[in-house]
Amino acid sequence: MAKTASKPAKKPAPKQVAAKKPVARKAAKPVVVDPITLSVVRGVLETTQREMTLTLEQTARSSVFNLAHDYSNAIFDHLPEMVIQGQDIPIHLGSLIPAMKTVAKFFGDDIAPGDVIYHNDPAYSGSHIVDCCMYKPVFYDGELAFWTVCKGHVTDIGGPVPAGYNPNATEIYAEGLRIPPVKLWDKGKRREDVINFMLTNMRARSDQEGDLNAQFGACTVGERNLIALLDKYGMPTVRACIEELKRMADRHMRSLIASVQDGVYHGSAVVEDAGHGFGDLEIKATVTIIGDTCNIAISSPPQIPYFINSYAGNSMSGVYLGLMMFAQVPPPYNEGLYRCVTTDLGPMGTLCNAREPAPHVNCTTTPMETLTDAVRLAFEQAAPERVLASWGHANGLNVAGKNPRRNGDDYVTMVLATIISGAGATSKLDGWHACGPLCCFGALTSGDVELLEYSYPVVIHRYGLMTDSGGAGYFRGGSGTAWEVEPIGHDMTAIMFGEGRRIPAMGAAGAVSVYTDRKVGRLEVNRGGVREVVTKNSIITIKPGERVTNMNPGGGGYGNPKQRPIEAVLRDVRDRIVSIEAARDEYGVIIDPATARVDMAATHKLRGAA
Amino acid sequence: MAYRYRLGVDAGGTFTDFVLSVRGGDVRLYKTPSTPQDPTLALKAGLNLISADIGEPVPDIIAACDLCINGTTVGLNALLQHKGAKTGLICTAGHEDSIEIRLGHKEDGYRYDAEYPPAKMLAERYLRVPVRERIVIDGSIHTPMNEADVRAACELFRREKVEAVAISFVWSVMNPVHERRAAEIVAEMLPDVFLSVGSEVYPQVREYTRTSTAVVNAYLGPILEKYVRRIDGYFRELGAQHPVRYFQSNGGLAEGQVLSARAVYAINSGPASAPQAGLYLTEPMGQRNVITVDMGGTSFDITLTYQGATNVTRNMDFLRYRIGVPMIQVESLGAGGGSIAWIDDFGLLNVGPQSAGAVPGPACYGKGGTAPTVSDANIMLGYLSPDGLLGGTFGLDRKAAEKAIKDKIATPLGLSVERAAHGIFTIVNTNMVNGIRRVSVEKGFDPRDFVLVGAGGATAAHITSLAREIGIKRVLIPKLASGFCAFGQIIADVKHNYLATRPMRLEADAPVEDIEARFNKLEQHARAQLHGDGFKDRDIKLIRSMDMRYAGQVHECTVDIATFKIDAKSIEKVKTAFHAKHQQLFTYSEPNSLVEIVNLEVQAVGKMPKPTPPATPKGSRNPPAAASRGTRKLVLEASGRSTVTPIYDGSKLKAGNKIKGPAVIEEPTTTILITPGWVAELDEHATYILNDVA
Repeated sequence: MAKTASKPAKKPAPKQVAAKKPVARKAAKPVVVDPITLSVVRGVLETTQREMTLTLEQTARSSVFNLAHDYSNAIFDHLPEMVIQGQDIPIHLGSLIPAMKTVAKFFGDDIAPGDVIYHNDPAYSGSHIVDCCMYKPVFYDGELAFWTVCKGHVTDIGGPVPAGYNPNATEIYAEGLRIPPVKLWDKGKRREDVINFMLTNMRARSDQEGDLNAQFGACTVGERNLIALLDKYGMPTVRACIEELKRMADRHMRSLIASVQDGVYHGSAVVEDAGHGFGDLEIKATVTIIGDTCNIAISSPPQIPYFINSYAGNSMSGVYLGLMMFAQVPPPYNEGLYRCVTTDLGPMGTLCNAREPAPHVNCTTTPMETLTDAVRLAFEQAAPERVLASWGHANGLNVAGKNPRRNGDDYVTMVLATIISGAGATSKLDGWHACGPLCCFGALTSGDVELLEYSYPVVIHRYGLMTDSGGAGYFRGGSGTAWEVEPIGHDMTAIMFGEGRRIPAMGAAGAVSVYTDRKVGRLEVNRGGVREVVTKNSIITIKPGERVTNMNPGGGGYGNPKQRPIEAVLRDVRDRIVSIEAARDEYGVIIDPATARVDMAATHKLRGAA
Repeated sequence: MAYRYRLGVDAGGTFTDFVLSVRGGDVRLYKTPSTPQDPTLALKAGLNLISADIGEPVPDIIAACDLCINGTTVGLNALLQHKGAKTGLICTAGHEDSIEIRLGHKEDGYRYDAEYPPAKMLAERYLRVPVRERIVIDGSIHTPMNEADVRAACELFRREKVEAVAISFVWSVMNPVHERRAAEIVAEMLPDVFLSVGSEVYPQVREYTRTSTAVVNAYLGPILEKYVRRIDGYFRELGAQHPVRYFQSNGGLAEGQVLSARAVYAINSGPASAPQAGLYLTEPMGQRNVITVDMGGTSFDITLTYQGATNVTRNMDFLRYRIGVPMIQVESLGAGGGSIAWIDDFGLLNVGPQSAGAVPGPACYGKGGTAPTVSDANIMLGYLSPDGLLGGTFGLDRKAAEKAIKDKIATPLGLSVERAAHGIFTIVNTNMVNGIRRVSVEKGFDPRDFVLVGAGGATAAHITSLAREIGIKRVLIPKLASGFCAFGQIIADVKHNYLATRPMRLEADAPVEDIEARFNKLEQHARAQLHGDGFKDRDIKLIRSMDMRYAGQVHECTVDIATFKIDAKSIEKVKTAFHAKHQQLFTYSEPNSLVEIVNLEVQAVGKMPKPTPPATPKGSRNPPAAASRGTRKLVLEASGRSTVTPIYDGSKLKAGNKIKGPAVIEEPTTTILITPGWVAELDEHATYILNDVA
């Protein structure tokens, strides 16, 4: 059955929208929602989510929250289905949905006003144990109306390695504290015993406690606004509006999927062996489109005793990010978007559907970014004009040591500047420089060089773009970044994680690169002029006077580089984003280094031959 | 000599407003179309209008002015349209990309948008030249500066005909020696370029912010220089007795040469005078908590002042460029009379941020616009007179408005035109209310504690609805609302900001006397500058502030402190002020946690004598019969039902007249809608006071 692939038709909104069935218990007849009230309710939900995020950002203590924006806030309804999520971190996009349902199911009817639930365990649909999530049920007139939800990456979760990334863990038990759903507030009463139990297991206790309070603040701000909304419009109208907003999102996603030819599309991508010795691991995605529905099926090899296994909740995020790279839906987001999408993560016990006790802490980047690539590649088969090229994967560094400026106190941090990779090109634009990694899609923020040097005893010698790191294409991939650092007055431990050091970010629509070694990430250690390149996850000691440089991959290109406008190539060469040799070998543009002019005749000849 | 006049000129994108304050209390507003290609043309036209109005030749008026004050959008427009100077950057090797990396972040709202481009670089990569040098955190030299690198940069800039050069090195705030030497070399080799040095423009911690600020400053510097030269020259020729003062985005005035050297301070000066104008209205009533809202054709600007102090932003993105220097916080959103109503992919009604602009403008302007706008909705609802604006001199086409709303909104949504129009009104109000929440609720202020002041021509039709929605009980609308910012400028003081940095953890043995020494140095500079401006000590006010945080936090909050000697004992007072500020902003404080200081600032104010407020003749409680313009049918309910509503001619109302809503008051440059439950009273200083009595 072949359909004509047309642009999604803009459907006129219905005249007056009646909720499908009475959702409020007491309502006897359908509640009629007018389109104006609907727009106003959507505006209030957006503002509420935003105010939750602001509360968290401004009050949090750990830099991963307040500087890196590694958090997500959402509102769920009583079902519980997601009503709105912000434009926060995509790696949290999908996992909140199953996690909320698992938590609600765990407590069943045992939910009361004033309860606050906490949870991080991937076995209960969490993403990874450093992402701790708070859930606050919102009651109205004794009835469960909403949940306000706040998830964030904490700096430490106990376990043998600070910050939780333990490359030696063969089981989840060796990674840190697992928190199955537990009440931290019970009917409004703070359970000091449980909170104390939890914090006792974490490093930097006061930071963790501050962040916990910040999450509580965010959930409470959300609750306050939602009650004001219910006061104004009443439960039946608000519920009818929310149901209609979900249906609108559903219709929108269906129209996008319906615009693609029916069929079965395949994508496959490889997680490179970044030091575990189990070899490259292939992840496959199969996207089946029938009418306005879509099934996304993942298959991956058996799980391994290394921290890159992904449990189901986290894998859902990878699937949804791949879907969003195709759909490119503007905010706001609700669960209606995914009604027409079914997902199969493959059998339990595999890399992308891990089973206890698989170790997993690296999973939000590896293998999730590869899983995302596989999904987006399958969609590229279906709708090449809509698809974005792959972004650079996270290839990062944690640093630790004793700070001589702070009486030798321990310091440890994930350096966010080390994972800022290049964005993939699109069918309209070159990829953004320094915007990745893929799993964060531009949502992260790296710190200012002076602020970092103030907090940690290092000199940052370089934080800049890298020539030729963006994938070649008609639209060029964004440049990756290099971060070069020298410890001051102490031995610094550099802990590597992630991958993207051998396989470059994949291009789209026929993009090809020649100098693939320049598109990937790596680590370089410079000891007294002797340069050593490291591509496997390692823990390395750097002494004063020595330097270590972490390099991040660039983004993939889009389309044939030999057709890229000559003036665009010339501009890139002028700006040292592309070298003269890459202009020739990747783009077929011959530039005289002495005059910086294009040899048009030779260029046309070379391009004609290509 | 007692000057008879003070003149404020606010050159906006579309109109140039002239506010003339006459000694004795009269304040007059004039408008002429802006002439961006040659701003002196608009000046000439405006001055001629004034001259004709008061029957005095232009040179006599100018000679009798104690001050001519100019507000300008040239900086803003150059940044908006990317028409600044060709700019080069000299920076620490390894850090030439910080302004392009932009901390690795893509703005929220565009996460999956495949067509949202990166910010345009004001200094392109090939003009960002690395220099081998490095200062480290304690100010010591890690790598001495390679002067040949600086000279090579100058050679490149000369070849490329660069017009402005920014110099910004890492940690130059702790030791500016390299930046200063580099500046000497540039000045020697390229004497004609505009020079902007990071440690001078923004001497505070944060390399990215400082570099970006220095680059924006360089980018705008030559443009401002040229503009100031022209305006100064024009007024000098007319016989002005004093140098022209320019309005800055920090809310104060500065002379032309100061402004062009610090062009970044001119960036968003237009709306920055609103808080002072607001306070000027509310202070006599004993109210120092003011939110001002200004709705024009395309945008809606909001400012907030709490206990007399206005929200200020530092280290924020403005038009996608990071600006460090303090600016009056102006929250702007795309909501104006020209904002277009549209139905999105989901089938929901939206209003703005796209605007029909001045051309073709709203459908009702009859200039060929077919998109339904807020003004079209307002005319369909009966809020705007079908006879037109500006006292009937600017006609409105009601039929065109009706057709636009019917075709684009009402029919697709299955609503009547009246209900659709009311929907547009409601949605744009929701957007504006959300904007007000962003400057108030999100910053820890309860809007119910504030007076709302309406400025701009389009605001008054919406303002009681906004106030009701956010719980504000009192609203002020001056008759001069549409020239409010120009009015704010003539009552402004001279203001300069002096910045420094001294990161310090306030542990028991912290060398806090260092802080005192740095403040003293800043204050010496401040006084010298203001003395040079002609101010006596009694008219100079210095305000100290510090950016502080708990050790481990990355967001600082700015704490204003009184001027007292800072020592080991008095530093406790500073800490207490910080805890209190943190509590106010974030609902909690940690009195036992370690506090650190990051940045220091002295704001220096040279107080100007204030003009007398305008006066309104007194009348009784009831409006005079002559003020009635009969009635009109207004749609005030979502159902689309209409209500017969009395209409008043504002120019015939007297002080003390009370008007109960629903009613409409038509002023020559604005239309006030008083919704049910509100009562308006004209006060003795030409301001309407609206109270929510419901």
